[in-house]
Amino acid sequence: MSESAKPLPRTTPDGQPFWDALRARKLVLPYCAACGKSHLPPGPVCPFCFADRLEWRAASGRGTVSTWTVVHKEWFPAFAAEIPYNVVQVELEEGPRLTAKVVGLPNDRLRVGLPVVIDFDEAREGVTLPRFRPAP
Amino acid sequence: MVSSIRDQTAIAGIGQSEYGRFLPDSQLKLGAKALKAALEDAGLERSDVDGVAIHLGWPLGVDYDRVAEAYGLDVRWVSQTWLHGRFVTSAIQQAAMAVACGLANVVACITAISFTRERQILGGPGDAEGTREDGGTHAESPPYGLTSPAGGAALGMQRYMALYGATSAQLAAVPIAFRKHALKSPYAVMKKPLTLHEHQASRMVVDPLRLFDCCLITDGAAVALVTSAERARDLKQRPVYIAGMQGLRSGRDEFIFATRGLGINQQPARRSPPDERDLAAYRMAGIDRKDVAGLYTYDAFSPVALFVLERFGFCGPGEAATWVQGGRIELGGELPMNTSGGLLSEAHVAGWNSILEIVRQLRGTAGERQIPNARYLQWATPWSDSVIFRN
Repeated sequence: MSESAKPLPRTTPDGQPFWDALRARKLVLPYCAACGKSHLPPGPVCPFCFADRLEWRAASGRGTVSTWTVVHKEWFPAFAAEIPYNVVQVELEEGPRLTAKVVGLPNDRLRVGLPVVIDFDEAREGVTLPRFRPAP
Repeated sequence: MVSSIRDQTAIAGIGQSEYGRFLPDSQLKLGAKALKAALEDAGLERSDVDGVAIHLGWPLGVDYDRVAEAYGLDVRWVSQTWLHGRFVTSAIQQAAMAVACGLANVVACITAISFTRERQILGGPGDAEGTREDGGTHAESPPYGLTSPAGGAALGMQRYMALYGATSAQLAAVPIAFRKHALKSPYAVMKKPLTLHEHQASRMVVDPLRLFDCCLITDGAAVALVTSAERARDLKQRPVYIAGMQGLRSGRDEFIFATRGLGINQQPARRSPPDERDLAAYRMAGIDRKDVAGLYTYDAFSPVALFVLERFGFCGPGEAATWVQGGRIELGGELPMNTSGGLLSEAHVAGWNSILEIVRQLRGTAGERQIPNARYLQWATPWSDSVIFRN
């Protein structure tokens, strides 16, 4: 298995600060300077009030699993050795949801509502992916 | 407000190719067979077709211009959606609107698929759609190995099961019902019954979806000819009128494989019964939900059948997994669904096999699948778009 063969995120200028912060092991979210709400995925404007000015602020890194799946089919050769592997959506404490994976927990203990904390996957060159661990 | 489009247009002809796996014919050849059959069915000539609403195109096939060129059409109106369940309704709606607005007299809605040749785009490294910026439209996230529409359907069903206690064995009622229907369809790819045991023993694909919760990957083509109600009455077949419609809803409250408020992607986690916008098609058709004799949906995955029932209020939020038990969605039940077997068991012709089935039902030519006295049938999806047909 080759980590380098795994797909990398395709980014846009709107989301670049999100990925830049991850490389420094920080999770940040775009907040609207007008209405104060945060959102994901990072967009060009505030999706709630349509204001232009967004600010990047640190997120707590805490959240809960809002849904999950375990992939059993080999779709990507680069993931074959990890089958069955999990993919989750995490509802961050701040509200927006992030797709990621959970490490440090057997797949059969995944559940909706599981408290998790941020962790960082630095195995792929040039990009750090957010991942989560069960909250201590 | 402009006048209603209710009953102003109709499907006057239907045609299809054979459905199967690894068919030798090209996608365009399958489409040609279906178009010829539809013209013969309606009693129309190729030259009568002056509009096309094609439901194929890149990345799963050629575009409208090659279709028109290949079939020697000379059309004055075109609509092209790409091949997704969410755009079945859009294609029919646009065809009906084009006819009602005088932009075309006869619109051929053309779908042709060679999925078995193109399957590499349905997930994995070849899935260009799922690899777009910010992920795919079904929650694909290739950096984590989540690909294919199946992944999004799994995320939706997993949360639904956690919230309401629904089980895989309950979900099995959907593919089992549709398999029973397919056994009565001469066009169906699947020829053997499906038991609960077989469903539960089938391999897990993407938890909680098992093999038999995922639709077929097949080849085939289907064509429906839309024209004015007036003209349809002068043609060979009993017209099937487009009585009511409503569009595709979109926004942060929506996710393609969830009902509103289920809490997938950025949806608020707040379920509620259908609102006025969700029921507009009934009002346009001048009917109540109870007048619907059968429901047809884009059953790419079993959970879609549950979600559409809740979206349109056939049952309450969280009730569908229980509601579908006991033959309720089977022929002879309270609300037969996908009576020719749908994508799960007849064939994956992008939902158009079910549109053709609706037409056969409303003509009264569905044979042993016939819903007695069917007057109104509904096409609908969990993402709220719908067309109500009547005879």
